[in-house]
Amino acid sequence: MLAMAMAMYSFKSTLTPYVTVGEAKASNRPVQVAGIAVKGTERYDLKTNNLLFTLREDGGAEMVVEYDGPRPGNFDDATKVVAVGKYEPTTQVFTAKELLVKCPTKYEGRVKGE
Amino acid sequence: MSNFGQVTMWLGLIAVGISSVCYAVVVSGKDSGVAKNAARLSFIAFSVFVTIASMLLMHFILNHEFLYSYVARYSSRDLPMQYLVSSFWAGQEGSFLLWVLLGAWLGIFLMFRARDMEPHVMLIYNLNNVFLMILLIKQSPFHMLPIAPPDGNGLNMLLQDPWMVIHPPIVFLGYAAFAIPFAYAVSALWRRDYDSWIKPALPWTVFAFVSLGAGIIIGGYWSYKVLGWGGYWGWDPVENASLLPWLAGMALMHGMMLQQTRGKLRKTNFVLAAFSFLLVIYCTFLTRSGVLADFSVHSFVDLGITGWLVIFMFAFIAISMFFFVTRAKEIPVSKKGENLSYFSREFGLIAVMILLCLSTLVTGLGTSAPLITRMLEQTSKVSTEFYVNTNLPLALFILLLLSFVPLMAWGKNNFSKVGAKAKWAGVGAVVALVVTLLNGYPDMEAPLLSLGVLLLSILAGAATGMNLLLVIKLVRKRITISSGAIAHLGVGLMFLGIVSSSAYDRSEKVLLPQGTVKSALGYEIMLNGPQFSREGKGMRLHFPLDIKRGGSQFTAKPDIYSERGRNGQMQRFTHPHIRKGLLSDLYISPLDFEPGQKKGSENSLDLKRGNKIAFHDYELEFTGFDVSGMMGQDARNMTVGANIVASYKGDDPVTLKPVITMSKKHGPSSPSSRVKLPGPDDAYLTLERIDAGAKTIGLVYEGPGPAPEKSAEKSPPAVIAEVSIKPGMTVLWLGTFLILLGGSVAVVRRWPK
Repeated sequence: MLAMAMAMYSFKSTLTPYVTVGEAKASNRPVQVAGIAVKGTERYDLKTNNLLFTLREDGGAEMVVEYDGPRPGNFDDATKVVAVGKYEPTTQVFTAKELLVKCPTKYEGRVKGE
Repeated sequence: MSNFGQVTMWLGLIAVGISSVCYAVVVSGKDSGVAKNAARLSFIAFSVFVTIASMLLMHFILNHEFLYSYVARYSSRDLPMQYLVSSFWAGQEGSFLLWVLLGAWLGIFLMFRARDMEPHVMLIYNLNNVFLMILLIKQSPFHMLPIAPPDGNGLNMLLQDPWMVIHPPIVFLGYAAFAIPFAYAVSALWRRDYDSWIKPALPWTVFAFVSLGAGIIIGGYWSYKVLGWGGYWGWDPVENASLLPWLAGMALMHGMMLQQTRGKLRKTNFVLAAFSFLLVIYCTFLTRSGVLADFSVHSFVDLGITGWLVIFMFAFIAISMFFFVTRAKEIPVSKKGENLSYFSREFGLIAVMILLCLSTLVTGLGTSAPLITRMLEQTSKVSTEFYVNTNLPLALFILLLLSFVPLMAWGKNNFSKVGAKAKWAGVGAVVALVVTLLNGYPDMEAPLLSLGVLLLSILAGAATGMNLLLVIKLVRKRITISSGAIAHLGVGLMFLGIVSSSAYDRSEKVLLPQGTVKSALGYEIMLNGPQFSREGKGMRLHFPLDIKRGGSQFTAKPDIYSERGRNGQMQRFTHPHIRKGLLSDLYISPLDFEPGQKKGSENSLDLKRGNKIAFHDYELEFTGFDVSGMMGQDARNMTVGANIVASYKGDDPVTLKPVITMSKKHGPSSPSSRVKLPGPDDAYLTLERIDAGAKTIGLVYEGPGPAPEKSAEKSPPAVIAEVSIKPGMTVLWLGTFLILLGGSVAVVRRWPK
């Protein structure tokens, strides 16, 4: 019983909801936001050596995402990037703990004209 | 148009259907001997058709028959042989075909070994094959395109690795094999013969466990070696999809051993056999239906089989429930040892099974979070901490049990006797504690987690010490009886490796300008000149790093491969360099490359149309733009080329055509392709800017020549690299290897003669 209660507590407390850029900026808990990495905005901060890029969601809202990890393999080919982390209102940067990169090639692809 | 592949698949479905009907006749008892032979023959026919279908698909891939959509999507002309072969299972349709193929081959063995249980077992087993064939025909690898494209999309670079060639077949072998204990368990209830299925089904269960386990471990090793993030397990839904049936299968395996030797757990084993098989289907549903598309790095797309998968899942749940409910009352409860001693091998095994089931449940709960939360409120996923926080306490108990239960006998045990023998567990625990603390108290995000990691290390040490002693003792007697001890030693070592690699890894990001010695984690690192090499459709940028530590010196060569993707953008794949060591690995992953500032550099030059200039050893003339490449571009980008007539030291001139891709909205964007200059030198030109109005272009030269030594204005090329020390990786891989070795020994020992 105790184990199940602990599992449920952990389950609820580690849930990261899927939200929009606007909601992410207003939220103070870890969330995930999907969008595209705006071409040309991707750079490495030479002081922290963290990856920075601008994420733009379908509606057009944007935010800067900072990621302290290696650049995902298929980053350039991504049709969609999902950043999991938290928005810092002071720096106005979304600090991502995880980047999920969705690629047309990874497991699925479409041939033109199909 | 005739489509032999699709026809063969239909024939396969018909054959396996006939086989099922004939086995049903045998089961009903109305058979005079004809039906059984017909059932066997049609099962063999099914295997033959599936084999022919697979050979056809392989043939189409090897011969670049891009008229088949699957071939066009996953292979291309330039792929080397081994990756042409593996593009067979690079996509969903092909991997389903592989699953059915392996299931059909296993079925032949099963058919001739199941003896008097054959009709029931094969009928249930065939049900699974019928379902898979329906899925495969729905989602066929033989769908044709209206016209064949000239070349295929090719195989994802990340999958072009030898481990990824063998990973899917091994996983699907495991998936296919999990249907066998299920078929036996259902048959046992059907025939009201609740014990005799264990002996023939146990080696299959262990076999399924070993092959799925090998698949999981190879996947983790590939992730560590290729992806460059330094990890081997990310709790991604696709990884969990193979972990869940594996954990349930592990519980089943232990339960079956208990039933075989002590006549216990008849109901539990049925439930576990059904559970592990249903998890295979459930996880297939999770990863193939697109329900988790936004929650996984593996973007499986819904190909329209979600409905079918749900139907199959409920059909198998219904079958399992029906037999369980109708037989539950008459299943005998354990004969011997009704009053179970709390200090016995039986109790230890049952406790381990409960822990494994709990681990399956919480991991399954986490993986299903997007499905569950979708019904309640906002769709959410759980972060990886959830899996760690819930599984860590379970792992602690499992390791605790592993450090004394293997010593105990069946039935009642004498506490002091076992205690005396358990001193090796104590030695292992003390060694692990001392080694851990010498490296510092674990520094995790939460104090409780740090304590958990310390306990994990101590208990893993205890389990390792105890089982190492057992392995030494038992291997001397007879290797086959040591299978459990070998696997358990592997579990201890694996957890030692997990603790050290995840709690004691150190990493530092360094900017390494060419020619400057930088230090990171006690290593002196210097970047030598980056080297380019052409490879396939793209190019590889090597970063030779001279690394020194104390007296030893070596060269590491991480690299970044880039090629133009189908969307026209350059894609990069970083490739880490791993220097493996007995105690720790040095892991160097290149993150980004800074080509060096070109401000005021003599390596950039402007050319006006019609003006001939001398540059280093070359004569160059820009003769005009080439806009033919603009045709067929997509709406957002366009590609412009520049015609340049170049000659090397007065040789015959050659026309070069560097191109630049520009985004129509934002102006010049991605760096464009380089062209090689004529002559013997390794020299290249890149088109950097164009100005159509002034009819000028900006070029960048890379290659030998009078070095532009205006160092104040020019910064050298540099690489940003993540340097990590990962202790215990070798121990971790050794542990996983021993788990598989122990399992394999058990399969051989229990294989019916």
